[in-house]
Amino acid sequence: MMKYLLLVTGFLFFSITILHAQTKLPGLDRSPMDMSYYPDQYPLLIIQDKVTEPLVARIIYSRPQKKGRVVFGDLLEYGKVWRLGANEATEINFYTDVKVNDKIILKGRYSMYCIPNVERWTIIINKQTDTWGSYKYNDTDDIIRMDLPVQKQTEITEEFVMAFEKSATGADLIIAWDDVKLNLPIVF
Amino acid sequence: MLIKKETAVVTLLFSVLFFVACEQKSKTITVDSNSMRIPVSVHDSLILSVDKSPMDMSYFPDDYPKQKMITPNMASPVARVIYGRPKKNGRTIFGDSGVTKNIIQEYGKEWRLGANEASEMEVFKPVVINGKPLNTGRYIIYAIPYADRWKIIFNNNLYSWGLHMDKTQDILSIEIPVIRNDINIEYFTMLFQQSTQGCELVMAWGNIKTVLPINFN
Repeated sequence: MMKYLLLVTGFLFFSITILHAQTKLPGLDRSPMDMSYYPDQYPLLIIQDKVTEPLVARIIYSRPQKKGRVVFGDLLEYGKVWRLGANEATEINFYTDVKVNDKIILKGRYSMYCIPNVERWTIIINKQTDTWGSYKYNDTDDIIRMDLPVQKQTEITEEFVMAFEKSATGADLIIAWDDVKLNLPIVF
Repeated sequence: MLIKKETAVVTLLFSVLFFVACEQKSKTITVDSNSMRIPVSVHDSLILSVDKSPMDMSYFPDDYPKQKMITPNMASPVARVIYGRPKKNGRTIFGDSGVTKNIIQEYGKEWRLGANEASEMEVFKPVVINGKPLNTGRYIIYAIPYADRWKIIFNNNLYSWGLHMDKTQDILSIEIPVIRNDINIEYFTMLFQQSTQGCELVMAWGNIKTVLPINFN
């Protein structure tokens, strides 16, 4: 019995050592990263030779899931800066100069945040990149702030999502999670 | 005495089991989807669930965004890789389809070093790979794996799904030896580690890994 137990214990310790050796390499994120382009699905258009307009924007963000929780006003406090995703602060890359809220944004890499409220959100584009969360967010680095109305959706979006959609003046960045959706107009 | 010993062992055993359970719980991934299908429109992607092989990124210095949070005035990162992370799922990863059935990646064929979009590496300052300069910028990084070595290639043909091969846009390549790992890596992993010459990009999947030296010191 003792021998057996010791053997089992030994084996378990051995397994744990392996597990730990493995955890040196990163596991999968709970809120996995994703990216969206304008033109939408640009990498697919490239391989299908269907590109009709130049690359304008790409957003890299992580996708937290609702998992039965009330997202806005509960999981995310109203009035507080949110990284628009999870993990690293969301990154937006413009490949050409664009206009947001009538202000020119030069091509380049920026971080994005928002301040959610019940009826409107403030969308923020900020020049500090490669940061984690919104802990080091500093409004002196803001390029643009824009207030957007919240649209209520009847269908629930389980996984936070952002994607670009063609508009009359350029493209809208659609931001959706839970029962909430917003359109950020980007002019180019 | 014997009882005490046994009690101790049983307690130990339970704590070990508990520990293992916790480990596994923390590793539970909720990415369950069949989204290998290709989204066709923005509306489709709005309801599209997370990718089966989720995207991830690694920086050098390692964990740069977190370090930046605690270190004021931190210098720019040196490199960043963005890639999809396919899962082994009990399959044989690399092989020769004439010899082994159901392999994921054929020896001698170009591989996007990940899944979905071609993997992308950005260097934020000029570096040297295989004695050749790589200027500041963004590149596709792909591999041609063999049993004993991988050829790693940097290419200018950015933003493609899979590999849209245009070898005329290859910039530089390097052959690096395959190293056997004694552990099994379930999800394809890329990350940077410090070296005396600069840093190394470690690429690991299944029971093998390769190490790409990047020099900037």
